[in-house]
Amino acid sequence: MISSIVLTTGLLLILIGLWGMLTHRNILRIVIGFSLMGTGTHIVIVAIGYVANGTAPIIDHALSLSEAASRAVDPIPSALAVTAIVIGMAVTAVMLAYAIRLYEAKRTLSIDAFTESKW
Amino acid sequence: MVESLLHPLNIFIVGLGGGFLIPLFYRLGKSWVAAAFVLALAAMTLISGYALFVLLNGAAPIEILTGGAKPPYAINLRMGLAESIFAFGVNLVALFGAAYVAREGYGTLLLYLLLVMGIQGMVMTRDLFNLFVFLEIVSIATYALLGLRDAPEALSATFKLLMATVLASTFFLIGTLLLYAATGILNIDELIANRSSITGPIGFAALIFLLACLLLELKPFPANGWGLDVYETARSDVAAIISGGVSAGVFFGLLKLLPLFEDQLELIAVLGAITFVFSNLIGLQQTKAQRLLGYSSIGQMALLTIAAPLLYQLKAGDAMFLVVGGLFINHLFAKVGLFWLAGYVGKERLQDWAVLARRPGTILVFGILIVAISGLPPFPGFWAKWQLIMTLAAGDLYVWIAIVLVGSLLEAAYMFRWFSLALHSPAEIDAEPQGQSDLFPIFGMALLLVASGYLAGELAGLAAPWAYMPLAAGLVLYMLARLPSGMQCLIVLILVSAGGTSLILSLSGINFLFAMLLLAGGLVVSIACLARADPRPGFYPLLAVMLLSLPALPRAMTSLEFIFIWELITLSSYFLILQRTEAASHALQYLLFSLAAAFFLLCAFAVLQAQTDSVSLSALRVAGPDSAPVFVLLAIGLLIKAGAVGVHVWLPGAYAEADDDVSALLSAVISKVSIFGLLVGTYVAIRSEVSLNLALVMGWIGMLTTLAGAMLAARQDDLKRMLAYSSMSQLGYIVAAIALMSHLGWVTALYLVANHLLVKGILFLVAAAIILRTGKRLIVELGGLAGVMPVTFTTAAIAIVAMSGLPPLAGFGGKWLLLSAMIEKGWYGPALMTLLATFVGFVYMARFIQAIFLGPRKAARDALTEAPITLLIPQILLVAGIFLMSFFPKLLIAPISEAIDPQFASTLVWQGMSLEMIYGYWNPVPVMAFAVIVSAILLGLFWLLLRSGWWAAIARVEIGGMRSSLYQGLKTVFTMLTPPWAQGLWGGLATATTASAERIRMLYTGNGQTYNLYILYYFLALYIAGGGLRHLWPTD
Amino acid sequence: MIRRLSIIVAIVAFGLVFASLVIGHTEQQSLLPLAESYIRLVPQELGAANVITGILLTYRAFDTLGEVAVLFMVAAGVGLVLGGERPPRSGPLEDRFEGARPPSEIVQTGTQILVPLISIFAAYIIMNGHLTAGGGFQGGAVIASGVLLMLLTYPQYQPNPEFLGVTESVAGALFVLTGIAGLIAAGGFLDNRILPLGQFGAFFSAGTIPILSALLGIKVGCELSVILERFRP
Repeated sequence: MISSIVLTTGLLLILIGLWGMLTHRNILRIVIGFSLMGTGTHIVIVAIGYVANGTAPIIDHALSLSEAASRAVDPIPSALAVTAIVIGMAVTAVMLAYAIRLYEAKRTLSIDAFTESKW
Repeated sequence: MVESLLHPLNIFIVGLGGGFLIPLFYRLGKSWVAAAFVLALAAMTLISGYALFVLLNGAAPIEILTGGAKPPYAINLRMGLAESIFAFGVNLVALFGAAYVAREGYGTLLLYLLLVMGIQGMVMTRDLFNLFVFLEIVSIATYALLGLRDAPEALSATFKLLMATVLASTFFLIGTLLLYAATGILNIDELIANRSSITGPIGFAALIFLLACLLLELKPFPANGWGLDVYETARSDVAAIISGGVSAGVFFGLLKLLPLFEDQLELIAVLGAITFVFSNLIGLQQTKAQRLLGYSSIGQMALLTIAAPLLYQLKAGDAMFLVVGGLFINHLFAKVGLFWLAGYVGKERLQDWAVLARRPGTILVFGILIVAISGLPPFPGFWAKWQLIMTLAAGDLYVWIAIVLVGSLLEAAYMFRWFSLALHSPAEIDAEPQGQSDLFPIFGMALLLVASGYLAGELAGLAAPWAYMPLAAGLVLYMLARLPSGMQCLIVLILVSAGGTSLILSLSGINFLFAMLLLAGGLVVSIACLARADPRPGFYPLLAVMLLSLPALPRAMTSLEFIFIWELITLSSYFLILQRTEAASHALQYLLFSLAAAFFLLCAFAVLQAQTDSVSLSALRVAGPDSAPVFVLLAIGLLIKAGAVGVHVWLPGAYAEADDDVSALLSAVISKVSIFGLLVGTYVAIRSEVSLNLALVMGWIGMLTTLAGAMLAARQDDLKRMLAYSSMSQLGYIVAAIALMSHLGWVTALYLVANHLLVKGILFLVAAAIILRTGKRLIVELGGLAGVMPVTFTTAAIAIVAMSGLPPLAGFGGKWLLLSAMIEKGWYGPALMTLLATFVGFVYMARFIQAIFLGPRKAARDALTEAPITLLIPQILLVAGIFLMSFFPKLLIAPISEAIDPQFASTLVWQGMSLEMIYGYWNPVPVMAFAVIVSAILLGLFWLLLRSGWWAAIARVEIGGMRSSLYQGLKTVFTMLTPPWAQGLWGGLATATTASAERIRMLYTGNGQTYNLYILYYFLALYIAGGGLRHLWPTD
Repeated sequence: MIRRLSIIVAIVAFGLVFASLVIGHTEQQSLLPLAESYIRLVPQELGAANVITGILLTYRAFDTLGEVAVLFMVAAGVGLVLGGERPPRSGPLEDRFEGARPPSEIVQTGTQILVPLISIFAAYIIMNGHLTAGGGFQGGAVIASGVLLMLLTYPQYQPNPEFLGVTESVAGALFVLTGIAGLIAAGGFLDNRILPLGQFGAFFSAGTIPILSALLGIKVGCELSVILERFRP
């Protein structure tokens, strides 16, 4: 149940991101659209890893080694999420760097101004 | 120790460690950075090369474990044979490409190094999420390297690429995680093993997300505008590594995941086919070099996307190796070389590539790259395509063969058009491209193509070293390019005589006769090349290749050898025609029709192989009644090459606009290879009963060609065009003779072949002499040359008589044999047409003699002299041949008959009559006398018609008042009878093609947001076509 | 209009696809086999209490190495894109902020208090990654947030790029070297068991994981700081 709610949230966030990147003309807003989509994806990842009534897969006084297998959530998606977040951040940085260069080139951030090459 | 140092894991250690350390080296000094950078690349190349070597020698794939645990717990990678080929290829290219990058700042170097490592990670990893990480490494390195060029359009294009690929890689991430949700597995091997558990809406969506990402990264039509923009605007060395390296990594990702997409294999191939055809179609309309290369790159990757799933579905593992490996290596080396060349030339517009015109070395490399990228021999792409088509045919996938060939033809069209633009001498000497050292890596790619082409050829089954003899001779001549022209020509003649003799010694029968004829004819006509002393860069090597390929063709034992040599002849003759830059457009037409012809042959051989399971040409002789399609395909291809009516449009331009000595070779000698092909191919027709009706069709086509060619020749005012059409007409006779499928018919055909070779050789050399001395080509501007060029006149007159079929020379025997054979077979219609064509032939031949040699002198120059001796010698030799044939016909006919006998001995067609019986059966003199009389009557009738003024009324043409000479009247009639339908048809086809390309490319609006919308729709289309609707509306 | 409509259609269609995912999704009631073995293996074999860190720094350390490479490349790439041949940044650092309102006292004081705390917190997160929630990436990001705060408060503040670059390179190289050490002394590339696993749950335990974590934290912190620095006007 919980994971379905999280999953839906994540997917909705992806949709919102897609909508934003397709409808907004401003490059910065488009980048925000991408970021939203990325965040949505990360939420989806977390939702996938959830196990009913599970807790974080860290062995400590709250979670003993013996009951870990039955009470922990799936650690793999969490591990992947870390990687995915870092990569998403990296991509956003590159996009922003290009946004700066594009602005310097044309003094505008409208995506419609950057259609030099076509056909 | 060596083993562990050269373990593939070290690729990553070197890549990552080197990358991390480069900033430190930078602080040590600039030269340190470059040295460390090149060393790291060299180490990766060495490691992958060693792996390839070990794996080729049969070692088991090398497993690379990480994290101290076995998969599926830890990430593992694998270096198998396929992986090592991809890795080694990419590394080699990267190492050569370092020449361009090494001068940049250290940031660029580390990005480049990590990019190359990332590509190999994509190739080698066996973990799905790790594949995603490597995909991101590659993507980010690409984004950053694209920043090297900071023109506004380059920045815009990179941003479009960013948007598109970030979207695509998000798909990959979602797909990977959904797949994990469905199966709990990330290891690719385990996923494949558990393929059946990937079900339900989540499993299906996971696969589609993954597939969408991989396809999108390969830039599928129409969701690829961003990719094209980047190819167009990127710095050429970066574009090169994207096209060759990044695409390779992505494609390998697709390749290794193919088992997961078992239900979508056909869909993948269909999408590949759409991309392949459309990108090559739109490529036709490109005017910018790098954008053109972009379309070609996308096309090549699409071809791989067609081949891989189809072969996987056919379970053709062995073929997969050659096809995918060959196509990939070919694309990699050739495309990277072309991109680098684009950077070296530094001209965006294709027209400006003329700067290369005066640089023979660069042109050679450019030519090699263009030939390779078009999938022509001797480069790997050719062997791969051959294997692909053979395998597809074996799997009954004929539609796919058609798609592959159509796309290839389109690609060849724009590639070779580009090449001819580079040959146009620039009006003014442009600033020469700078930096000779920049050429070194491009030469490296050309060499790698040659080497890999040889290996691929061996793999494809071309083991015969003699097949490479023409190319070796060309290479020798290329080395000697500094010698004076005459010397080079002599060396060609000597080399070809020696090589050619060794080629044909082991032959017998028809093959020997043909090889002999082609070799001797080629040599004699080539003597005329001595007449030109000016330097002709590239001419003599090409001449050597061509002259040696001719006798090599009859030597071919397998269809592969046949096609290989066939394409060599096509290419060498194309480049020979192209020697005269004015002929560029005609040369292109020649090439395209020739390639189309070759593709039909390829299809025929593919069908044959599928039916008989043999690549031997002897399979043609044993093919059974089902082989009608083989015959039809062969006949279509060969008729195109022979210039049959309807597909003759390439012929006049190519023959007339080539250099004069090349024209003679084309018409006299090269045109005969299609005839040889027909003789080889018609075995099938004889075997399959159905094809005998098809043979009648071919006979009619032959005669129509003869008649149309004669009428078109009679219309021409241009000397060489007239001879060109005459050539077409004469070949029509030969085609008809072959179509008779009888012993007598074939004797006739060979007899006519020899006759035409001799006659047309003389006449084109006569034309060469006239043009040399007068500088004029229009018949109306010539006249009265008999007095000043008596020897030329004599040889021309003899040739004309021999061609016309008047006694006593050889043509008479030929016509007689032909008519006899037709009557024997009961082909009265074609026989009648022979008579009619003979009449039309008289008209233009008479005009040739009358208007050029007799009549009043029109040429202004008084100082005309006889043709140079170098032009006269071959003519006199050919005249000697005519006399020999005319007066000792048995000298030729007896061996011909003997050679043909075995083909017919076992069939019903040949009635077992000896030659003497036929000789006695038909008395030649009355037949020919009849022909002459009919011609005379027709002429007389026409003259009366004209006189009486009826004609003008009938034809509604105003002749009476003007110059109502007999010829003008006839010309009007011939013009009416030969409407330019074929021109219209092919011209219309070309216009329609380019117009549709023009319309389709409007899809690419240049707006990055629109491109992203295309991507979403691409995914949705994939989802629906893959059968996703059932998950959206579950029916149960 | 047509454009807007086609966007709506696309988004709705994606929504339908996503809806099918939600409907098809069932919450896991127990761990999948692979995940379960990880929960078992990481504490046993690697000696790390935080299973996720164990996966990230040993079993999937190859991925982690790739991520580090990604960040490293972004730092270089942003430099390349924003450096390039564009007009040189106008004048010395001080002049570029001429006329800009100086940060308020609250911000300045807050920074002075927070930056040391942030640094300590980052160190804590990094060093306890194998025991509890945290790790190199997270800690590195916290370091970078401190740098960001500094940049916001003191526009003239310039982290020493030389230092950052060298540190980043050395940390990366040491990461790879640790991996190689695993190849030589233990079960394979990036195997953590070249050092004793120690007492489970103790600070010095889990083999090389804390070392890798520290290297990672330093490297990520430097890289993110470099990236932030490059984005400065």
